[in-house]
Amino acid sequence: MCRNKIQNIRISNVGRKAGKKPVIERIPFQCIVPPHMLKEIAKRGDPKQRELALKHLMISERIRGRREAFGEFYVATSSGAKCLNVFDAKNGQELPGVQVQDPANSTDEAVKEAFGGADATYDMYHDVFERTSIDDKGMCINSTVHYEEKYDNAFWDGRQMVYGDGDGKLFNRFTISIDVIGHELTHGVTEHEAGLAYSNQSGALNESMSDVFGSLVKQRALNQTAAGADWLIGEGLLTSDVNGKALRSMKEPGTAYDDPVLGKDPQPAHMRDYQKLSLSEDNGGVHINSGIPNRAFCITAMEIGGYSWEKTGKIWYITLRDRLRSRSNFQDAANKTYQVAGVMYGSGSKEQLAVKKGWSTVGITVKTK
Amino acid sequence: MRIRLERTGGFAGMRREVALDTETLPSDEARKLQEMVNAAGFFNLPEKFPLPERGADYFVYRLAIEAEGKKHTVEISEPAATPELRSLFQTLMKLGK
Repeated sequence: MCRNKIQNIRISNVGRKAGKKPVIERIPFQCIVPPHMLKEIAKRGDPKQRELALKHLMISERIRGRREAFGEFYVATSSGAKCLNVFDAKNGQELPGVQVQDPANSTDEAVKEAFGGADATYDMYHDVFERTSIDDKGMCINSTVHYEEKYDNAFWDGRQMVYGDGDGKLFNRFTISIDVIGHELTHGVTEHEAGLAYSNQSGALNESMSDVFGSLVKQRALNQTAAGADWLIGEGLLTSDVNGKALRSMKEPGTAYDDPVLGKDPQPAHMRDYQKLSLSEDNGGVHINSGIPNRAFCITAMEIGGYSWEKTGKIWYITLRDRLRSRSNFQDAANKTYQVAGVMYGSGSKEQLAVKKGWSTVGITVKTK
Repeated sequence: MRIRLERTGGFAGMRREVALDTETLPSDEARKLQEMVNAAGFFNLPEKFPLPERGADYFVYRLAIEAEGKKHTVEISEPAATPELRSLFQTLMKLGK
């Protein structure tokens, strides 16, 4: 039922994805031959081997048509098999690091969590949103753990996810919270779809999308409804020495922590408190102002009720996939989520009115024309 | 040498600051910092670097150093920084803790 709705929206969305087939294309190529080997074959093999290796490299690079040729590890799987890899940087800076065998059964907590989190995120995108991996073409999802020493961060580098161990004093390891993994993987999805520019308001919207889908991965893993969820991002990431329950609260932005060392959670919960910052401050406050659209999502989901990924998540996902552009702002997101809710659930439906309420609570009035 | 480092961004989006004067440090630490500043070619770096085209949740740094009558400020995100500059950032952040 939902499939039809999702596909219909994709088809009717003329322009942006013109010519994109609604059916997922499979690239007949094995994940097990990594690109660095292909590159060697392309350089040193006999003419036939070289031709084949080059062809395979080009196929994998053509998936989205915008990667530089010979980018590392962009290989689609054959027949849609899940391809999840975990690497160990062994506290160095080199990426991706050494590949870990059988990460699902590793005795290393960080390895196991990175794998499990990527697996749960893959499944949510696949089973709920009908998306096959980060690029919707089955690309391998690569994660590196133990990056640098006592590194207080996790990031998406444009190719893969990277996790630090935390300093142990303020931060625990960054794989500890499953929504962090969903957050990082979603940066890859956003980069492949709306491509929201990572600065100022479009950047805060990009951040919010990562928190939204990261939180949904957690809610789905815990089988929580909107009313039962804690709506926290990075719960468990702060050590017991820190006065804080998480890094962000989608339900009550600005209340996640208040600590003598780390300061107070700076997130605004309403447009009147939007922080206009220079690019040298968190790219214009992308992790700060994201509190505003985060809360709009949370309120919408609470209004609709039930499991948040089932309706609210789908409205947000289709908006991200088909309606937003690189320079879209909060107002655009409000207008587009409202439109998508109207197409999916009917004009004036409970769901559409919930979207309107979500945005109006944070000070954004949906424009219908 | 007076140094002020501000770090923002990252997944946590927390702001951290370190301000120090090398004259107040033990001489070997001060000398090490001076060498790291030299190795990073700090005073010859541009003031601003373009934002990375891809990636997210990286740290954003703003480093200001005043030494021998010179003052220079560099704004740079982590992926754009050289290994030498990143080492300097790491050392300074540790001194601030």
